[in-house]
Amino acid sequence: MKKNILGILGLFIFIFIFTAYYSEPFLSAYNMQNLIKWSSLYAIMGIGVAFVIITGGIDLSIGSVIGLVASLMALAIKKGWDPNFAVVMLLGLSLGIGLIHGLLITKVKLQPFVVTLCGLLVYRGISRWMTDNQTMQYPGTDKLDSLFSGKVLMGSFGLPAPLFFLIVVAILAAIFLNRTIWGRYLFALGNNEDGARYSGIETDRLKIVAYVICSFLAGLSGLLFAYELDSVQPAQTGEFYELYAIAAAVLGGCSLRGGQGTILGVIIAAAVIRLLRNSINLLGISTHLEYAIIGMVILCGVAADEIIKRVMARRRTAQVTTARK
Amino acid sequence: MIKKLTMMAAAAAVFAAGCGKPSDGDGATEGGGAKPKHKIAYVTNGIDPFWDLCAAGVKQAENELGGVECEIHFPPKGLADQKSILETLLTKGIKGIAVSPIDADGQTKFLNEVASETVLITHDADAPKSNRQVYVGTDNYKAGRALGQLVKEAIPDGGEVMIFVGRLEQLNARQRRQGVIDELLDRPHQVLGQVKFDEVAKVFKGDKYTVLDTRTDNFVMDTAKSNAEDAITKHKDLACMVGLFAYNPPRCLAAIREAGKLGQIKVCGFDEDDDLLQAIKDGHAQGTISQQPWKYGYNSVKVLKAILDGDTSVIPANKFIDVGFKVVTSKNIEAFWSEKRKMAALGAKKD
Repeated sequence: MKKNILGILGLFIFIFIFTAYYSEPFLSAYNMQNLIKWSSLYAIMGIGVAFVIITGGIDLSIGSVIGLVASLMALAIKKGWDPNFAVVMLLGLSLGIGLIHGLLITKVKLQPFVVTLCGLLVYRGISRWMTDNQTMQYPGTDKLDSLFSGKVLMGSFGLPAPLFFLIVVAILAAIFLNRTIWGRYLFALGNNEDGARYSGIETDRLKIVAYVICSFLAGLSGLLFAYELDSVQPAQTGEFYELYAIAAAVLGGCSLRGGQGTILGVIIAAAVIRLLRNSINLLGISTHLEYAIIGMVILCGVAADEIIKRVMARRRTAQVTTARK
Repeated sequence: MIKKLTMMAAAAAVFAAGCGKPSDGDGATEGGGAKPKHKIAYVTNGIDPFWDLCAAGVKQAENELGGVECEIHFPPKGLADQKSILETLLTKGIKGIAVSPIDADGQTKFLNEVASETVLITHDADAPKSNRQVYVGTDNYKAGRALGQLVKEAIPDGGEVMIFVGRLEQLNARQRRQGVIDELLDRPHQVLGQVKFDEVAKVFKGDKYTVLDTRTDNFVMDTAKSNAEDAITKHKDLACMVGLFAYNPPRCLAAIREAGKLGQIKVCGFDEDDDLLQAIKDGHAQGTISQQPWKYGYNSVKVLKAILDGDTSVIPANKFIDVGFKVVTSKNIEAFWSEKRKMAALGAKKD
C-alpha cells in the first residue's frame, strides 16, 4: 500500500519541480493558493468515489449530483428559502441519493454502472428542468460564501476554505478505512465479496454505506464548486467531473477490481491532475493538448504501477522459493 | 525506487512531447533589443470554429500592429476552466486580458479581482457591472432586426416563421431573437440595453408574418436537427426557418433537404458556417448576418494595445465598441467567403 503512495508522490514532485524550474511565477503565493484550492475540490470528489471503487463498484453520477446540488441551492435562494436550511436539505438529499443507489445495487441487484449511469441522466435532467435551465447565482449569502470559498489568512498567504473541508473529510475517511473494523471489512468485501459474505460480513450494508459516502461527498463538492464559481449552469456545472474523480482514485492507487486504495494516494493524485493543468497553462503548452497530456500521464502512471507490482510479486516468489531451497 | 524512476521517465516523455511544440499563442518571437512587447491574452468562452475565426483576428492584429505578444486560450469545459485560465494568466503577470465571460453576473466579483491586477476588457459578451475597461461587441438587437429584414426578402408575401437557437439564457441570443420578432411584426426599434423580451413559448401574429414558438437545443447537434425536423412535421405551412447560432441553419437545411422541401422552406441564418454559405450560393438559403468574428479578435488586441500604450481615448463614453455586422446574400457571397477562408486558415495555423 505504501508503495502506491511513493509512486504517485514521486510523479507529483517531479512535475512540481519541473514546472517550478521552467516557470518562474509557478511558486507565487497566488498560484499556490489556486492550486491548493482546485486540488482540494477534486480530492473531495475523489475520496468519495474511492470508497465505491474499493467495494469494486463505480459511481458515474457524481458530476450530475454536483450539478443538481449547485442548481437547487441557487433555486432555493431565489425562492427565498433560508440558505442554511437549504444547505442541510441538500446534503440530506445527497445522502438520500446515495442510499437509493446502494439499495438498487444491493437489494434489486442492479449493476452499479447502470444505476449510476441512469443517475447521471436523471439528476442532470432534473437540474435543467427545475431551473428552466437558467444560469443562476447565489446572491445575499455572504456567510455561506466565506464558509465555502473564503480564505484563512496566514500572513499574506490565504488558505482556501476547500482545503479545510478536505482535511476533515480526509482524516475521517482515513480513520474509517484504516482504524475501524468497517474499513477492514470494506477491503475484504472488495477483494472477495463471496468470501466476505460467508465469513459473516454484512456486505450489503457496507456497500450501501460506500455509495452514501460517495454521493454525500459529491453533494458537498456541489456546494463548494457552486460558491467557488458563484454561478451555476444547470446543463454544464459538474459535467464529466465523475471522470476526474475516478481518474484521481485510480491514479491514487485504487484498483477498479476493488479491494485496494488509500486516501492519501487519492489526494496526491487529485493534486497531480490539477498540477498538470496548471503547468500546461504556465508552460504555454497548447490548451488543445491538455486532455491528451492528462490522459497520457494517468495511463503511464497506472501502467508503471501495474508493472512494478508484478515485478515485486515475482521477486517475492523467487525469494520464497530460494529460501525454501 | 525503480517505480519512481519509471514514473518520472514516463512523465518526462509526455512533457517532452508537449513542450516540443509551442502553444497556439506563444509563437511570436521576442523583438530583439526594441521596446519590450506587451504580453496580452485573448480568452474565449469555449472551443468552437467561431473562436478560431476570432483567433485569426488576434493573430492578424499581432502581426500588423506590432508591439504586442498574444496568447489565445480556449477553456474546454465552461466556467471552472475559464476561471483557472484567468488565474494562471494573472500568475504569469500578463499585462492585458480580453475575455468573453460565460456568466457576467456570477463572475463580476472575480472579474473585478482580475481588473485590479491587469487591464481587462470584455469581448463577444459583456459584464457591464464589472470594472472592465471597455466591451468589444456587436449590437445583437440591431443584427436581429437585419436578420428580420432578410426574412422579409425571403418571403415577401408573409407566412409562418420559426426560430431555432442553442440557448436563450445568453443575452446575445435573446437580443437577436427579439430583433427578428420586432422587425417581422413591424414594431418600433428598441434601444440596446433596455430591450424587452417576449415569451419563448408564445406565437406572435402580425399582419403578414406569424412567428411560431422558439426551439432550443442546448448545443446538442442531434437535438438541433430533430427540432428542425419536428417543426417541418408539425407546421405544414412553415415558410421560413431562422437559425440564430452558427450550427442552427445547417441543421435546418439538412432537415429541409431530407423532407424534400429545399427552396420551398426558406432559411435565414446567423454567423458563417460553410454549409450555410454554400446554401446561399446555391440559392437554398436567403442569407446570413455575419459578425465577422475576426474583428472581435482584431479590435480587442488593438484596444488593449492602445490602453497599455497609455492612450485611453479609444474608450468611448458608453464603454461599448460596436464592431458591426455584415449582411451576406447571394450578391456578395463570393467576396465574403474568400475572406472567411483566408481568416479560417490563419486562425487554424499553428505557429
